[in-house]
Amino acid sequence: MATAGAGAAGCLSQADAATKPSKAALAFFQGTAEDNGFVFRLTNWKKIDPKWRRQLVKYKSREPQGTVVVDTSNHFLYLIFENQTALRYGVGVGRDGFRWYGRARIDRKALWPRWVPPPEMRERQPELPEYMDGGADNPLGPRALYLFRSGKDLGYRLHGTLEPWSIGSNVSSGCVRMFSEDIIDLYQRCPVGTRVLVLKHLGAPVINEAAPVDTQPQ
Amino acid sequence: MRFELGNRTAAFAAVMLAALTAGCATSGRPSATLQSTSTGDATNAPVQGGINVQGGSEEDFIVNVGRRTFFPEGAATLDDTAQVTLDKQAQWLVEYPHWKVKLQGFADDQGTEAEQKALSQKRADAVRDYLASKGVPRDRMKAKGYGRDRLVGDCADIECTAQNRRVITNPQEEPDF
Repeated sequence: MATAGAGAAGCLSQADAATKPSKAALAFFQGTAEDNGFVFRLTNWKKIDPKWRRQLVKYKSREPQGTVVVDTSNHFLYLIFENQTALRYGVGVGRDGFRWYGRARIDRKALWPRWVPPPEMRERQPELPEYMDGGADNPLGPRALYLFRSGKDLGYRLHGTLEPWSIGSNVSSGCVRMFSEDIIDLYQRCPVGTRVLVLKHLGAPVINEAAPVDTQPQ
Repeated sequence: MRFELGNRTAAFAAVMLAALTAGCATSGRPSATLQSTSTGDATNAPVQGGINVQGGSEEDFIVNVGRRTFFPEGAATLDDTAQVTLDKQAQWLVEYPHWKVKLQGFADDQGTEAEQKALSQKRADAVRDYLASKGVPRDRMKAKGYGRDRLVGDCADIECTAQNRRVITNPQEEPDF
């Protein structure tokens, strides 16, 4: 189980891992930071709609403090605090992020997670490696939190992204992706054993299989 | 009776205290730091300025640093993750020297009430000593253990215990210590 969740189940990320970001894409970054031996690009917040930024909000819920609530339909993730408040993060949701909802638990956390492209993705893109070690070009970004239920890996995870422009939208692949800064922050705040509730999503949009694998800004 | 309370919420604390003594509190849960001062009360209404938090404010600490340090079962050791959180706390406290902090330790572990109280004190002390090693003067910190009081959740499962084995770092401008 050492690499549990590394890609066996369905939740995968974008396939443009090795490609260099375009000029338009680079505008979404500003500066870099070092983290556990790797360097990653920091988000240029001027390019991001404020609603997707981490912030304290009112949140009415019966969930106990410390629970993570994922609202895929509205592209928010909440960490429940006291007095009907929560820390809210913007998320991007991949096709696989819509395949599942319900209760789970964070049983595993990883720094700079490995990524294993699924066989069907490698069929479409034979140039993809069998697996990719964690690092600056890895599409999972600097952290991943793996969701389990009754000891079983649900193949569903919260992770970072190399594509900050995809936060707040539905993308063709991936689970629940967050800004690098935010997944690092969430990792700090969620001990192993953290409860997770993925809200039921109504009418999850169908994503065109023929569409480009990811959404590059024009 | 003041647990996990920020100094801005003194009035709210009084209300909560009244509610507790009146027996209408729902859970015995620690009351709290966060009280919405925004006009909106609906879900997603920004609290304390939303993204426009003032650097060096209590909200800045909550949103951009984080108050909670978590501990393994039966121990007061600081793992790598805990140290990263405490490094950020220390940096913030050094940058904003007008703040003092109350470090509130909690336990939900094996052992008698007295043992758990002692463990929670050790956890709070461990946080204090670590912050001191990173440049926060000791006279700005007060560490206190509360044992198994004020559980976030009460169950034998890790879902509860992981949240309960914690130290809360509470910035206070006018400390009650």
